[in-house]
Parts: sequence; structure tokens; C-alpha cells
Amino acid sequence: MTITVTPETFHFVSFDAPHTARIAARVATMLGLDDIDIDIVVDETSPLARVFVDAAPDRIVVTAHSGALEDTKHPTNQSDRATTLALSRALLKARDRVRGGFADAPADSALELRQTAAWDVHIVARLSRLGMEINKQASLYNFRNRHGFADSVDGVFETIWSIEATTWSELDAFSARAATARA
Amino acid sequence: MKKFMPVEELARDERFHQVTQAERMRDGRSAFSANSEQSRRSSNRITPERPDASEAARGLMHGIFVGEIQALEGAGRTCWDFTTGEEAPFALKLDMARQAWDEARHVEISVKLGDWMGSEIGQFAENTVLFQAACSNDPVLRLAGVNRALEGLAIDVFTTMKEFGEVAGDPYLEFCEDWMLADEVTHVKMGSDWLRKVTENDPERRKKALEFQNIVDKMFSYGGTRSDSDESSIGLARRFRELAGFTDDEVEYVAEVSMQALNERKAMIAEKQAAARR
Repeated sequence: MTITVTPETFHFVSFDAPHTARIAARVATMLGLDDIDIDIVVDETSPLARVFVDAAPDRIVVTAHSGALEDTKHPTNQSDRATTLALSRALLKARDRVRGGFADAPADSALELRQTAAWDVHIVARLSRLGMEINKQASLYNFRNRHGFADSVDGVFETIWSIEATTWSELDAFSARAATARA
Repeated sequence: MKKFMPVEELARDERFHQVTQAERMRDGRSAFSANSEQSRRSSNRITPERPDASEAARGLMHGIFVGEIQALEGAGRTCWDFTTGEEAPFALKLDMARQAWDEARHVEISVKLGDWMGSEIGQFAENTVLFQAACSNDPVLRLAGVNRALEGLAIDVFTTMKEFGEVAGDPYLEFCEDWMLADEVTHVKMGSDWLRKVTENDPERRKKALEFQNIVDKMFSYGGTRSDSDESSIGLARRFRELAGFTDDEVEYVAEVSMQALNERKAMIAEKQAAARR
């Protein structure tokens, strides 16, 4: 496994490329992805917290806006917690695509907001069970924003949260059911 | 008890980390310009359509929360810093006490909204620019800076958040923001009324206060965070400003300085990003 972080030196933020690579290696090992090459590209000119993943069987490319790895309490500084969480989310999503039942999922850019939210619930719930510190309420709020503010929607959220393994079509059906239940 | 508390001495526990406006403006990153299809949006307005809507709303909600704390501190200081009768009429101080009561309630509402949205107290840096505007040693300048400029910004922010809640279908967010918005309109009106009354026979002092308000308005444009442009995350709430007693000319002035601040910020960002590429 090789891990690259671009850029090697940051001008807009106080991030550390080798440190980021070490965090990525730790996360990749935890998720059983230590046999795949990983490229991490940080857009340090953007303060947004967005992350995109391109996954192929032999290479994963994670593109992260700097806000995703940032310590929001100390702007422009890197947060180990945020970096670990952002990379864990991205790499688990990549694992779902290449080794889970998500090969038929649309590309990130083609996913509807509700689909992205549902997938993220499935991802962070598993990370939580792996012992990672997760704010479940934040995940619920995002799911509600995308599916509606209703008890039935919260019920679907809890179902997705508790599932250990699923497929793209099953997850999408849960999401569609939540959106319909709200209506 | 000490009078005229400087911004550096505001009491906060270890959960908070404060930054100044100058520090925020030194950050050369920006959501404004489009480097690539994937890396920027066409609009920065905080709406549920944004892919990062929940994070953005949480950040703004935390900004409202710390803003309410500083507004409470500002109104409270105005009750205490000036001698009753000689420097500030009793009725003015009574209005400020009432405002402090409102702001304290807003702080509590904001904490609960933060919990609801999944954020933590102190999760984001606290920009102390709001209290800085409340440090003037003339009560009239303080009214202009706090009640007209700061609370004017609050009207813009609450309107943006209320609309967010409305579109997302979040009943709590929409309801709470609507009620706080009503209070902010009252606070601006209070400032407008007192500014007129206290400077009735002192045109020079009124001029100075309005000049100070203009400076604060520009400061609160946050380098383009608030303007009529979709590139700004917060819009200018023209209708509610009108209800709060702003004249058409005053609203136009705020619109103009906000656009100017946005353009200055964009130029600065472009310069910094070009320098980094060289």
C-alpha cells in the first residue's frame, strides 16, 4: 500500500502532509484496506468541509476541501479528530463500493442529497461501533434535513443506524421509504 | 464592578476559543471563486439545497449563539457603564435591561437549537467583533453600533436561518428564529428611536453616531458574508430592516457597503491565491 498526500506543503492552512498520511494508513488498516493505494488530494484554498471519493479495486482517490480536516475551534489548523473522521468516512465509502454491495451505486456527483445522507448514516453508525467518537444527533439532523422532520423518518434512521451490512439497492429503498413516509 | 470592559476580558470557560475579525480576515481560503467544477458552488447562500447544508447551518447557529452572548454583554454593559440621567436617561437603560433579558433568552434558545442540530458549545471559534462594537464610551455611539448595526445584522442572519428552517421543514428552527427575529426588530427600533431622541438638539453628535454606525456596518459585512449577492451566505433582509425603522437610503447604504466588502474580499483572496501559485 502506498499513500500520497497532495500538496506536500501547505500555504493557506497549517496542515501536515506526512501526519495526514500516517492517519490515513491507520484508518486504512482498521478498515482492512491496507492492500490498496490511496491518494489524498487536499484543496487548501477552500474552507468547505466537502469530501469526494473515487474508488477502483487498486486505487482510492480522496479529494477533501480543507474544512473537512480542520479544527473549527482553531481555524486553519488541522484537527486529528476531524482528519480521522473524514478519512474514515471516505475510505469506508470506498470499501462499500469496491468490496461491499455498493458497486451499482451512482458516482458521488450523481447521488441525490437524500441518498448521500442515508449512506452517510450507514457509514458513521459502523464507525461508531468501531469505537470512533461520533455525534449521532448531527447525523440524525442531516438525515432529517434530507428526508423530512417526522417520527417515521426518525424510525428509518434508527433502522439504517442499526444495520451492519446492506446493499445499495436496499439502502436506497430505505431512503426512498423515509422520503415518501414524510410526504 | 469594573466599567468599560475591554473585549479581551470577556468571561468564558475552557470550551470557548476566541478569534478577532483581523485573524478571520487573514484566512486566505474562500468559497467565493470557482477553481474547478467540483470544488465550489454557484451560490453560497445557506439553503437546504447545499450539499453541506447541515454543517453550514450548524456553524451559523453557533455564530448566532456566541453573538447572542456578546449582545447580552453589550446591552448589560450599557446599563452599567453610564451614569443614569447625566450620561444616559433612565428609560434608555431600562430598554437596555429589557434587551439584556431578551438576549439571555436568545442564548438559551440558541443552546437548545445547537443541541437539536447536533453541535456542541464551543465547537467553532468565537469571533469577538460584535462586542468590539459595544465598547464605545459614548452611549449614543453604542446604540448606533450595537442596536442599529449589530442587531441589523442579526435581522439578516435570523431571516436566513428562518428561511432555512422553513424550506427544510424544520418546525423548531423556523419557529424559534421567527420569534427571535421579532425581538431583533424591536431592538433595532429601540436604537433608532433613542438615537433620534438623545441627539435631537445635537446634530454633531448624531452625525458622529451615524458615521460610527456606517463603520460598524462595513465591519459586520464580514468581508462579504452578508450581502444581496448569492455569493454571500447571508442575505440582506430588506423588508424586516424596513419594519425596524431603517430608511430606504440606509438599507441601500448597507447593501452598497456589503457588496463593496464582498468585492474587496474577493480581490484579496484572488491576490493571495495567485501569490501561492507563483
